[in-house]
Amino acid sequence: MDIVRRNNVTVTGNLQGPTVILAHGFGCDQNMWRLTVPALAEDYRVVLFDYVGAGRSDSSVFSERRYASLHGYAQDVVDVCEALDLRDAAFVGHSVSSMIGVLAAAMAPRRIGSLVMVAPSPRYIDEDGYRGGFSAEDIEELLASLEANYLGWSGAMAPVIMGNEDRPELGDELKHSFCATDPEMARVFARTTFLSDSREELKSVQVPTLVLECTQDAIAPREVGAFVHRAIAGSTLITLDATGHCPHLSAPEATNAAILGFLAERR
Amino acid sequence: MMGRTEQQPDPNDPDHCHDGQASDAAFAALLEDSADDLYESAPCGYLSTLMDGTIAKANRTLLNWLGLEREAVVGRMRFADLLSVGGRLYHETHFAPLLRMQGEINGIALEVKRADGGRMPVLVSSVVKHGSAGDPLLIRTTLFDARDRRAYEEELLRGRRAAEEARRQSEADRARLQDALAVLQQSLLPHTLPSVPGVETAAYYHTASADRLGGDFYDVFPLDGKRFAFFLGDVCGKGPQAAAVTSLTRYTLRAAALHDPDPVAALTTLNHVLHERYTGGGDPRYCTAVFGTFEPDPATGAIAVQLASGGHPPALVLRADGTADFLPTPGGLLIGILPSAPFTAATTVLAPGDTLLLYTDGLTEARTGKDRTSLYGDEALLDFAVELAGESPHAVIQALTGLLDSFGEGLDDDTALLALGVPPTDPETRSTE
Amino acid sequence: MSPLKITTRDAATGPVLEIFGALDYAHAPELRQLVSVTPLQSGQCLVLDLGGMDFCDSSGISALIAARHHAHAAGADIALAAVPVNTLRVLRIVGLDQVFTLRPDSVT
Repeated sequence: MDIVRRNNVTVTGNLQGPTVILAHGFGCDQNMWRLTVPALAEDYRVVLFDYVGAGRSDSSVFSERRYASLHGYAQDVVDVCEALDLRDAAFVGHSVSSMIGVLAAAMAPRRIGSLVMVAPSPRYIDEDGYRGGFSAEDIEELLASLEANYLGWSGAMAPVIMGNEDRPELGDELKHSFCATDPEMARVFARTTFLSDSREELKSVQVPTLVLECTQDAIAPREVGAFVHRAIAGSTLITLDATGHCPHLSAPEATNAAILGFLAERR
Repeated sequence: MMGRTEQQPDPNDPDHCHDGQASDAAFAALLEDSADDLYESAPCGYLSTLMDGTIAKANRTLLNWLGLEREAVVGRMRFADLLSVGGRLYHETHFAPLLRMQGEINGIALEVKRADGGRMPVLVSSVVKHGSAGDPLLIRTTLFDARDRRAYEEELLRGRRAAEEARRQSEADRARLQDALAVLQQSLLPHTLPSVPGVETAAYYHTASADRLGGDFYDVFPLDGKRFAFFLGDVCGKGPQAAAVTSLTRYTLRAAALHDPDPVAALTTLNHVLHERYTGGGDPRYCTAVFGTFEPDPATGAIAVQLASGGHPPALVLRADGTADFLPTPGGLLIGILPSAPFTAATTVLAPGDTLLLYTDGLTEARTGKDRTSLYGDEALLDFAVELAGESPHAVIQALTGLLDSFGEGLDDDTALLALGVPPTDPETRSTE
Repeated sequence: MSPLKITTRDAATGPVLEIFGALDYAHAPELRQLVSVTPLQSGQCLVLDLGGMDFCDSSGISALIAARHHAHAAGADIALAAVPVNTLRVLRIVGLDQVFTLRPDSVT
């Protein structure tokens, strides 16, 4: 199978430099990193990709069974590493991709040499003695929201649903492809993401790890960031003065500086 | 009207003057609808937030929808705080990143929480206002009341879910039906042929249609310590009714043979059963069959075969010496159409290297030729058999399977093949002959 | 293969059905249906003229047998006329040549 095509792999930046993999989270695709790539491009070889079912991946190979577990997505990461024969790469994962990176690093230890976890959460649902920030009902509500926008999201979704991506009158193709995920696949990814529990896996992380959290994040509250930091021995925690769940978009300078600082220490 | 050609208004027309005054007054009233009032009372919610989502301004329409006082909202809440939890997740994972990347986003379905605990579906559009240096300053958002529309969409979604459920159900039903068909079909044919000391048997069944039960059948089974019985036949028609006849035929023949293994007696019993069962209903069902018994002779290795046919094409005997011939059973009648029917018996002895071949007319009635208008026929089959004479039953069935495959589309009926014979005593000797 | 066409006429001995085309799985039910509504009196003879029939499979044979049952139930006789060679061969194999009265043609 052509993994590069399947996962819409893009390689850019300084091709002689150390490799950094940028992995998008639930909701969008590799375009999420467009404010990050320029900061890394001078010194690093940057690998971008879309998980199967997201962005411009080959969604015909999507399997509900495989992607019903984060391991299925981690396998995508391992596949990309193997296809490009990456060694000792730095893996930068946003949101759920942080946890996918943890799994992938355990599956292919020689491929991934360090982790940057941007707004991670190993468990979204509250449990006895653990606060993830959400109840099971909240997650069902998110799934309902996804479903509601199956019809309602005319601006970004309709061209994809109707399969007219290539109609020129729809204008800026790039714009329309943002987050243009098939609703069924988005639902699988949402379930897998928000119902998963990766707290145990955090303890197994062996590689140098940077945890980035935001001061105000509705999805990954600060106590979750602290939890991740505590669970991964030797990890570094940086709290970015940023609002929302996407500091690489809302506070790109601070986010890039944190990532570059971490990467520079490792060179 | 006839005299009026000028379309210019007459300035002296008092009515015109009056109209002009009225519209001027209305226009003046419109001007009094200040931009502020338009903003506050617009038929949609307006919201301005800082880039971090903090609400800087909201119109009265929105505050009324929310059931909140301005003081509780402005400077105190973020846009995401107005949303249901699911909507907030959606906002963080889709809405906010898209807005950041595109600078605008249109028509997103979300729900706002009302002070009374209720939810209100809205359609949200946002645009980022940039400063003169191109830096993002604030986000302007409109919210449209989507209660009616959402109710309608929910109907659509319910319909879609119901359709999907119905499709899943029908797929499951179909799978179950196919499983049932497969089980039934297997009950019409022996799973494996019994092993008979000193005798080789082989069979093949070609199904013309995968989801249609076939009407051909065959079987080989032990009668007592020494003798075995076999049969092969063809029930008229296809589908479940034909399969029911096939099943009745198979088990009637098996039972009849245990009671009286004489071939004519077994077919006569079957004839009684089918005629009694089917003739009354106006839908006569019948079959053709060859039924036989054989008894190996341990001393010579040969087997003596007794058989009888009811309306079935004659069996073929392929001899070790390279010859082949039909074993004629003329005059045997279709089984089941008359209360009593004649069946014709025949006997033969199969020496080592001889093979008896039974087949159904799917083989001889296969359409051949360029435009598939000719039938394969008895003579071609006999010629084919002569070439195979001396081969083992397995080899004969294999060659015929290849022949059936070569018919392609021309083979449009179910076809059953059954061969039994005595393996050559010494293949080495044969090959040097 | 031409589709089935059946014409009916009355001869002195009873109804004559002339069959043209294919008497196969798809078309045999038409003959069954027609025969079942053809009036027959005791002592008459139902004649099926097969001279124009160019194909007959086991479903066709079934329809012929059903016609025979219908005739006998009415106390009438049945005859097959102008049976094509191929069909005659099949009738011999299945023993029906002894069950039906066979005539060279339908004219008596």
